[in-house]
Amino acid sequence: MQSSSKLRGLLVITLLPALLLYSFFVIIPIFWSSYYGFFEWSGLGDATFIGFQNYLEVVQSPIFWRSFKNNLIIVGASVLGQVPIALGLALLLRKSNMFQRFVRSAVFLPMVISTVVVGLIWGYIFDPELGVINAVLRSVGLESWTRAWLADPEVNMYAVAVPIIWNYIGPYLIIFIAAIQNIPGEIEEAALLDGATGWRKLVYIILPNMWGTIKVVIILCISGSLKAFDQVFVMTGGGPAQSTEILATYMYNNTFLVYRYGFGSAISTMIIILSLILILISQVLMRRKD
Amino acid sequence: MSTETYKQNSSLGFSLKTGLFKTIRVLFLTTFSLLMVYPLYWLITSAFKTNEEFFTQPYAFPTSFTFENFQRAWEVANLGQAMINSTIVTVTATVLTIFLGALTAYVLSRFTFKLKGVLVVFFMLGMLIPVHSTLVPLFTLMNEVGLLDTYWALILPYTAFELPIAIFLTVAYMSTIPKELEEAAVIDGSGYWGIFFKIMLPLSVPALSTVAILAFLRYWNEFVFALVFINDSSLKTLPLSLAIFSDGFSTDYALTMAAMTIAVLPTIVMYLMFQEQIMKGMVAGSVKG
Amino acid sequence: MKKLLAMMFVLLLALAACGGDGDNEEAASGDSEKVKLSIWHNFAGDDLRARSVRDMIAQFQEDNPEIEVDEQAIPVDGYRQRISTVAAADELPDIFLTYAGSFTDEFHKSDLIQPITPLFDDNPEWKDSFLKGALDPYNYDGELYSAPVAMSATSFMYYNKQLFEENNVEVPKTWDEFISVIDTFNSKGITPLAMGNKAPWVAQSTTFGAIADRVTGTEWFMNAVNEDGASFTDPVFIDALNHFKELVEHDAYPEGANSMDNTQAEQYFAQGKAAMMINGSWTISSLSASVSEDVLKNIGITTVPAIEDGKGAGNTITGGPGGGYLLSSKTEGAAKDAALDLIYTLSNEEAQNTIAESNSMVMYDLELDQETVNPLFYEAFNLVKSAEFAPVYDLHLTSAGGEAVNNGLQEIMLGGDVEKVAQDIEKAQAANK
Repeated sequence: MQSSSKLRGLLVITLLPALLLYSFFVIIPIFWSSYYGFFEWSGLGDATFIGFQNYLEVVQSPIFWRSFKNNLIIVGASVLGQVPIALGLALLLRKSNMFQRFVRSAVFLPMVISTVVVGLIWGYIFDPELGVINAVLRSVGLESWTRAWLADPEVNMYAVAVPIIWNYIGPYLIIFIAAIQNIPGEIEEAALLDGATGWRKLVYIILPNMWGTIKVVIILCISGSLKAFDQVFVMTGGGPAQSTEILATYMYNNTFLVYRYGFGSAISTMIIILSLILILISQVLMRRKD
Repeated sequence: MSTETYKQNSSLGFSLKTGLFKTIRVLFLTTFSLLMVYPLYWLITSAFKTNEEFFTQPYAFPTSFTFENFQRAWEVANLGQAMINSTIVTVTATVLTIFLGALTAYVLSRFTFKLKGVLVVFFMLGMLIPVHSTLVPLFTLMNEVGLLDTYWALILPYTAFELPIAIFLTVAYMSTIPKELEEAAVIDGSGYWGIFFKIMLPLSVPALSTVAILAFLRYWNEFVFALVFINDSSLKTLPLSLAIFSDGFSTDYALTMAAMTIAVLPTIVMYLMFQEQIMKGMVAGSVKG
Repeated sequence: MKKLLAMMFVLLLALAACGGDGDNEEAASGDSEKVKLSIWHNFAGDDLRARSVRDMIAQFQEDNPEIEVDEQAIPVDGYRQRISTVAAADELPDIFLTYAGSFTDEFHKSDLIQPITPLFDDNPEWKDSFLKGALDPYNYDGELYSAPVAMSATSFMYYNKQLFEENNVEVPKTWDEFISVIDTFNSKGITPLAMGNKAPWVAQSTTFGAIADRVTGTEWFMNAVNEDGASFTDPVFIDALNHFKELVEHDAYPEGANSMDNTQAEQYFAQGKAAMMINGSWTISSLSASVSEDVLKNIGITTVPAIEDGKGAGNTITGGPGGGYLLSSKTEGAAKDAALDLIYTLSNEEAQNTIAESNSMVMYDLELDQETVNPLFYEAFNLVKSAEFAPVYDLHLTSAGGEAVNNGLQEIMLGGDVEKVAQDIEKAQAANK
């Protein structure tokens, strides 16, 4: 076809701007930050080199592992909550009439609200006194089920996960709808001729054709929930008594509340490493299913 | 009225069983939608309440619809200027994201070359990074090159952090575009750029609109970078202006709700406008293979 | 293809140019004769005090056209983070608002600030009018670095007069009375104490500090802070923690206290859902802005009950000097003179009076006009002027130590082990000393 030098030129010109921008603002700061991890530094004044001490402290800190576990709860809740809900809705919303458009808009709506506002609103919904959840429970006679949803360590991690699920169903729904609409019409027609309708069509035709998209969404879901911060930060700040601490709040609190920049930087490096491992595991698991 | 249209559209083979199923489906979807919308409804109604009303009747309908809260919030937080700033930053960064994302995705999805695998992983890495961990190094970096306190101090990092997801989504989508179309274009005499602009870009509109919406919303609502990288009060973006009614000891909920409502409205309007676009794009862009 | 290349170049150029733009701007404004002065503070909101402070700065700018004041009002939520980030990059503004205690210590330790002692030498009358101990937190080796423009009085006991009358209860003066009042209200289905401990400094700053001071005495605390012959694992501190635990065990706080914010708790109290609330002076300004006069009149104010067998005094109020303005060590020459001028304008008697009239406490001896200020504020200010201060825990502990206390108190509220909490606090404080 065309000459390879022309191709090389094209590659350089097309990739360079994105690559430069991305390296400068994302990659360099990460390395910089992991380098800070080797110092005892309050953010002001001089830093003292202390080797791997911060990293060791992170790995040995029970709170760090609790935060990681809490992150996994959010990851689990997102993957098991967002993906099925979004997929189910996408299957129900394949037409484009008024009603379905309305539902689609409604589902996407939370996405347009800033995460800070989301945290604030849900903080109110969960409020033990004024909150609408307890009010509803009381009105249907389930008084004993009422709780201080965000203060009670037994349930607060799950409570915190709900707004995150609620917040991000929309984009996944849209991705799924796009995928369904992109299933080639011939395949569906062929399936109809073979008598595949309803559930059979779903299982044998639609889902297999969407598996690629589902994988994409699961990966987005995992990486998104590992980065979750705003909603949790606004609703609980990681408390009470660090019971809803997640990796990002743990890092933030250590950096900007306790002024341990070195330690905080070490935590961020660990977050990236753990995230990588998780993504790799999920990749391997999903590849096996193929 | 919505049920009306619905029936018309699905009038084929209307047995009792499927009718029941469809009613349940409509009921379920309606309830679900209301649940999704409720918090926003709550936000907007709260914005009309006085502080006292907010606390004594948090779920009641506001007793009066005065725009006093909105007016005060608008003035005190200088929301007009903030909205202009947010628009400039968000629009520029979104356009930049789409363009760079599509270009990179085109190359990564269409060509094979030596370092491709490495590049893909390299970009994907960015999806894992908690933005807060880069605050201090980024601040120092931008300070060195004199970017602080300009719109670019937000536009460039926003774009950089959004690129991985933009590339990820677009690559996934572009891979589904059949090779034959390209080959046809080559026969017609198009070069690489011709293929990109005439075929890949238009055909990727569904994916790119998704990217655009995600990016737009993220930029419009972003708080932490804006807080740290912008000093000049005339450059402040909206989310910064929402925080000023809370001083650590007390929060003026009435004004906060009003300011938040003002901030949320443009995104809702944008979305409602954009939504048609995506749906159309999806129909137009869905390639029959 | 060529078109695109050109586009790319334009883009890169634009980026480069905009980077350059920033520098040019600075250079351009530098050669005019105006003295440039940057000031950062957190009076960004719509409350009375914030508005007064911004007005003062605007007035200063008007009176001094030869100075160009670059003012940044940063929301409180992000203030510390903003300041620490710019400090880390060594880009502090000329003048910035600080908080008394470890926050300021860090700047001093790192030589990022310089003394403003001459200001005090030139205005001896002003210096002498500060309340006792007001300047201590800003005194490093005999040099003064700031003048407080606020008082943090963090532990008043507010009570609902009507609820006390209706239930025939006396306002408690001692710990035993306090516990029995708590039980009485609980038996009537009224929450005894409101508290919004979502931001976990609240329990520590408003309640625990006062209790602990009554149990351990001030001297023990200062020794423990400096790890000097006292430790947070000492029995006397365990005893203090146990007093707090006693409140929790008597169900003094509502169920969701750890997820309520301070404003919600104040409203909860104002609505009569709780009989008492231990909270700081800030409650007065926020309540007077948000509730009706009748509700305000029904609120009484006193000190936290005494603990008879404790080592400390029984009527102290935790608090002391609050924030003040610091001067960056980099500010020199004409800018420094202007900066000193501005700091004085924002901290002198007139300024202190303006701040007090916005229902906000100051560390300055003022005769308040009973007519112009809020009655609750008037009562509280006089209560403070006559009482002794006890240290606020997190103003003296290291930030890590303070965090440990905050988290520990939440743990105790969730039924955690007192001994373990004490150990965590000691560990955090000792490690980051």
